[in-house]
Amino acid sequence: MKRVLLAALLLITGPASAEDLVSGISQDTIQITSNYTGTDIVVFGAIERAQGATGRGIVVIVRGPDEPMTVRRRDRVAGIWVNRDAARFEGLPAYYYLASTEPVSRIAPAETLRRYGIGLQSLTPTAIGSHHDPEPFRQAAIRYHQRSGLYAENPGSIDFLSETLFRTRVPVPAGVTRGQYNVEVYLFRGGEVVSAQSTPLFVDATGLERRLFNMAHNAPFLYGLACVFMAMLLGWISSVLFRRPA
Amino acid sequence: MELYLPVAEMSVNWLLLIVLGTGVGFLSGMFGVGGGFLMTPLLVFTGIPSTVAVATTLSHVTASSMSGALAQWRKRAIDFTMAGVMLSGGVVGTLFGVWLFSAMRRQGQMDLIVSLTYVIMLGSIGIIMLRESLASLKAYRSGISPGRRLVNRGWIQALPFKMRFRQSRLYISVIPPIAIGFVVGALSAIMGIGGGFIIVPAMIYILRMPTNVVMGTSLVQIIAVTAITTILQATSNYAVDIVLAGLLVSGGVVGAQLGVRAGAKLRGEQLRLLLACLVLAVGAGLFYQLVARPSDVYSLSEGVP
Repeated sequence: MKRVLLAALLLITGPASAEDLVSGISQDTIQITSNYTGTDIVVFGAIERAQGATGRGIVVIVRGPDEPMTVRRRDRVAGIWVNRDAARFEGLPAYYYLASTEPVSRIAPAETLRRYGIGLQSLTPTAIGSHHDPEPFRQAAIRYHQRSGLYAENPGSIDFLSETLFRTRVPVPAGVTRGQYNVEVYLFRGGEVVSAQSTPLFVDATGLERRLFNMAHNAPFLYGLACVFMAMLLGWISSVLFRRPA
Repeated sequence: MELYLPVAEMSVNWLLLIVLGTGVGFLSGMFGVGGGFLMTPLLVFTGIPSTVAVATTLSHVTASSMSGALAQWRKRAIDFTMAGVMLSGGVVGTLFGVWLFSAMRRQGQMDLIVSLTYVIMLGSIGIIMLRESLASLKAYRSGISPGRRLVNRGWIQALPFKMRFRQSRLYISVIPPIAIGFVVGALSAIMGIGGGFIIVPAMIYILRMPTNVVMGTSLVQIIAVTAITTILQATSNYAVDIVLAGLLVSGGVVGAQLGVRAGAKLRGEQLRLLLACLVLAVGAGLFYQLVARPSDVYSLSEGVP
């Protein structure tokens, strides 16, 4: 839905409009290697035919692939905390980072923000399997991801190098999911989107990590056997190494 | 210091995990238990998803047990006949446990049932061991030789299909060992443990095996059960992380060797007293988690349950 809107907007805001946006990212793939501990990407952009900084807002969003998730709430039953109610969500991203020139509520009205999925409060998944009010479950899902550093809103984190040139640093933590990410840059004027650009970003494992992951899924029996064999071999080796000369 | 785990899909401090493996391995070598009941909660505490923690701990248990079993084997302290008989029940129990595991997961209450099983098992076994070891320590102090205590094997002696277990100096029915093997195999799949903390007391108190044979024989049983469960977890849940397993195993095997040596310096009753305290401590910790108000009453699991 949001992507369709964005695509439509990209078509509308052609060269005819007054202000335009050109943006790019420092790297279009993130390779997860064995010593991957998270990285930063830099999103930069320029405003063409700029009309001054007043009333202008810039929002940069990096959105991860959607991931189904289940949120459960514990209640006290006979003194023990037991999972009672649950809500399953579809359409929440695995990663969401927002950088903006100022808090998004000051850039545009809530209705506009929701339409473009801008801001954590605009993340509206479809809830399934819950007979209760899903709102507290949605808030819990957002809280959970904020704690693990996968969701963040960082207003005021866009640096202007000149009147028209800007950049921002996006942290991609170690816990990210593999898949296609989207980098979205929005230019607001007077509370309305005047230009937007979307660039894909790929996060993928390479080398040994990728091979092990593939093997675990494509040849699970052999993989399990390899684990057992490795464990037994190491157990035996240590036993031989530690054998005390009689 | 950070290493990426391909199946858990996260970065971990590898040094911490090796230290964790060594510590748990030390205890497993000392007591002749696998250490899964310690490792699984500790891994979950470091942020590793519980499915991966449960499935991967099994490899650590296999390796520590292998290392410990070889040390016991050199001391001729393994009753292979007994291990074989128990394992015949163990294989069936494991298959049953894996079936039960997926059935409970569909019900959505698996975490609770696993925690409750842990608390009940650890609590009752811990208390039994604590009382017994304190009683024998007291008897030892007051100068009464414990010797071959008055053993009431009434119902076990009455069972048919008797078999001679030369190494254990026993002539008993094969039904109790097979039943114990079955229960332990089932619990291994459900709780992600080797089951040493159940086998060891069962061998001592139900089968009345001599303590010196108990360690080695239980380790052989644990190796077989965890090996089977690892393969079942890898094929049914894709939850075994070989890099994590490698880290835990590397530490574990060294720790197990040191543990066997430390254990040899202590007497049987002292060992059982220490193990009882450890089992009770873990049980109490898990019980506290069940009754204490969680910091966030909401929890999240990725993917479709």
